[in-house]
Amino acid sequence: MKLNRKQQPEFKNIENINIPVPEKINLDNGIETYIINAGTQEIIKIDIIFNAGSWYQEKPLIATIVNEMLIEGTKSLTSQQIAEKLDYYGAFIHPNPTKDFGNITLYTLKKYLPETIKILNDIIKHPIFPEYELKTFLSKRKQQFQIELEKVTNIARREFNEQLFGENHPYGKKTELKDYDLVNRKDVIQFHKRLYHSENCKIIMSGKIDDSDIKLLNQYLGNKDWSIKTEAKSLNFGITSQPKMESFVEKENVTQSAIRLGGIIINKDHPDYHKLNVVNTILGGYFGSRLMKTIREEKGYTYGISSVLVSLKHAGYLVILSEVGANVAKNAITDVITEIKKLREEQVSQKELDLVKNYMLGDMLRSFDGPFEISASFINIMDLGLDTNYYDKAIEAIRTITPDEIILIANKYLQEDTLIKTIAGKYN
Amino acid sequence: MIKFEKFTLKNGLKVIVHHDPSTTLVAFNILYNVGARDENPEKTGFAHLFEHLMFEGSINIPSYDEPLQLAGGENNAFTTNDITNYYITLPRENIETAFWLESDRMSGLDFSEQKLEIQKNVVIEEFNQRYLNQPYGDTSLLLKPLAYKVHPYRWPTIGKEISHIKNASLDDVKDFFNHHYAPNNAILSIAGNVTTNEIEQLAKKWFGPIEKQEIALRNIPQEPKQNESRTQTVKRNVPFDAIYKAFHMSSKMENEYYVTDLISDVLSNGKSSRLYQNLVKNKKLFSDINAYITGDIDAGLFIVTGKLMNNVKMEDAEKAINEELNQITTGNIDDYEIEKVKNKFESVYQFGQINALNKAMDLAYHELLGDADRINHEVEKYRSVTKKEIITVASSLFSKKNSSTLYYLSKK
Repeated sequence: MKLNRKQQPEFKNIENINIPVPEKINLDNGIETYIINAGTQEIIKIDIIFNAGSWYQEKPLIATIVNEMLIEGTKSLTSQQIAEKLDYYGAFIHPNPTKDFGNITLYTLKKYLPETIKILNDIIKHPIFPEYELKTFLSKRKQQFQIELEKVTNIARREFNEQLFGENHPYGKKTELKDYDLVNRKDVIQFHKRLYHSENCKIIMSGKIDDSDIKLLNQYLGNKDWSIKTEAKSLNFGITSQPKMESFVEKENVTQSAIRLGGIIINKDHPDYHKLNVVNTILGGYFGSRLMKTIREEKGYTYGISSVLVSLKHAGYLVILSEVGANVAKNAITDVITEIKKLREEQVSQKELDLVKNYMLGDMLRSFDGPFEISASFINIMDLGLDTNYYDKAIEAIRTITPDEIILIANKYLQEDTLIKTIAGKYN
Repeated sequence: MIKFEKFTLKNGLKVIVHHDPSTTLVAFNILYNVGARDENPEKTGFAHLFEHLMFEGSINIPSYDEPLQLAGGENNAFTTNDITNYYITLPRENIETAFWLESDRMSGLDFSEQKLEIQKNVVIEEFNQRYLNQPYGDTSLLLKPLAYKVHPYRWPTIGKEISHIKNASLDDVKDFFNHHYAPNNAILSIAGNVTTNEIEQLAKKWFGPIEKQEIALRNIPQEPKQNESRTQTVKRNVPFDAIYKAFHMSSKMENEYYVTDLISDVLSNGKSSRLYQNLVKNKKLFSDINAYITGDIDAGLFIVTGKLMNNVKMEDAEKAINEELNQITTGNIDDYEIEKVKNKFESVYQFGQINALNKAMDLAYHELLGDADRINHEVEKYRSVTKKEIITVASSLFSKKNSSTLYYLSKK
């Protein structure tokens, strides 16, 4: 039989997506802990997630410093000793400070878990933030910050977030250069004491795990020696901004300008979110999206453009972002707006919708392929207190959404007239 | 240990299969033995521009991405000095779509002036975004031609300059395809819950009919030994001074390669490493410092990069780097330190194998180097490096005559 190269070979729609449910346990001190036993390699990852993001800080930079400096010295180990031990065992501890959380991740070979968990335990419970290390850390960071501020994408991000949330809101507040000179070690120590304790975190352990690993985890982090019986103060901030609809930050000698368009939008815990996610994917959520097709593949204005739904603990927002040729920034923005309008007014073809659905289901498979992917997908919904049926609902929404619903959702949430626009670089 | 089986089709396509029952996806990786080193010095950036064109539709299939996305797949590609590598992950049961797409674009592309123009623009914006519009972004455009005078590694994969991309013609593009894109110049590797038998059937069905091509003879001028230290100074709109040093090292095929890689680890892998502890933490000369090897197949570079702290003089910074390199040359290195970096290599190697796609890429790449099974001997090769070898290699590596230094000064 002659090969028909014009015809795509028969393929199956993705029917079964196995969403693994982590095993939930409580350590002896009560910490909510999730075990994901999967994978083929003899490796383990432990994530500890503290409610200790910049949302909780009273002064700039403190949340980040605490998170990133846990490894810079404890009561019994110097910064160098910690680094030596981790490198010797081929282990990694990655701090990850976000707006809402202070995350600490340990990657280790399973055979060295007894040694590496000891270090993890020590840096979390007994860091001392030595004055000397703090000074070095800040002067280094201050320089890196100045370099980051040279990038148009960062300039646009800062401006955009401030317009979105207001200059006094923790999600909108800009870090300034002078903030690096005003950090006080007492505030750092205090922040750690207040928020890095066993009542204020959750743990996820993933990889090749057996009972002895869980026992080790419990022996160290399940100990009652790091409990504090005070509730972390829950702070609330209103979004007070009265945004400029369009703001422009000029930077000379650029070949590209960074653009950001967006607005406050529903969060992952809203019932419409899954459907909105499909709409956003069509617009700018994958390589074949409409924004990529128009602004990259038809016009050649950019190397990449995407549209992202950001779901924070206390608010969500939409952001469309790109770096485009400096002389076409205006055109690119006009094209983005046209694409949104089209999404509201014109029915998406069944062909395009099927493609997006299948792509998203395939992506769902990829998000659960392997122990670390599973844990990342789980951490991704834990922050809003959602459980794994979140993903079942997501799959359901992807499978059932119709072209009419897309128009409905697009009209409800995406109005091009209300988008906040920021441009950094050149704009004329 | 990555187990695999391999076979070769009559047209020369090499196929490697790794059975991994732990995943519901399949990784489909195809490596073409062509990279920036195969470019004409007057037409640089071509291998990479061509990679973009590979996504613009082939003889029988107008869109590459759409049918793949319809089958739940995702794909991407990258170009290096040595290779162009395309990869897909998709649900295991839809693997035939990958065969269909990749075999069609191996047999021919649907070229047009218009598509070429668009991709030229996209690549120019990539050039801007990654190299020209970033602080310190043009470093590799400066350092490479300082270190290499003859070998094509003297330009980066994005190209020497934007004009080379602007001037690319449709004939150039067709010519490039005809000389490099063929079954006998490619390695296909697949990892997932598949059998060799099934892959063999599919490979014969889809790739079998594609004819062998004459591949452009690779006649790359090798870089002569550098006999004088070279320097260049530039001033740029950046907040702080920076220094970049490049030393010529061995090719990937020599044992020295592993020794040199471990030297870079001793100097700069992890927070306990020498450059970080001594020059960032203790002496506070740099905000950021790194040593790494370029990892090329032909003789590559050992590179040290550092961003200076505000009040530090360039000569003091450079002197401190040289002293650190000298410490290794003079044998001031202990067994514990060597063991530490070997452990770290082994750990990173383990973590790398968590993912089917990584395994497929590694297998194809090592097959290109001579035998896919090389991947299974990497750890022992690193393990067997001795202190004596480190000292010997460091002595010639770090000789002043072998160095090219770029002083990247702030205008402020």
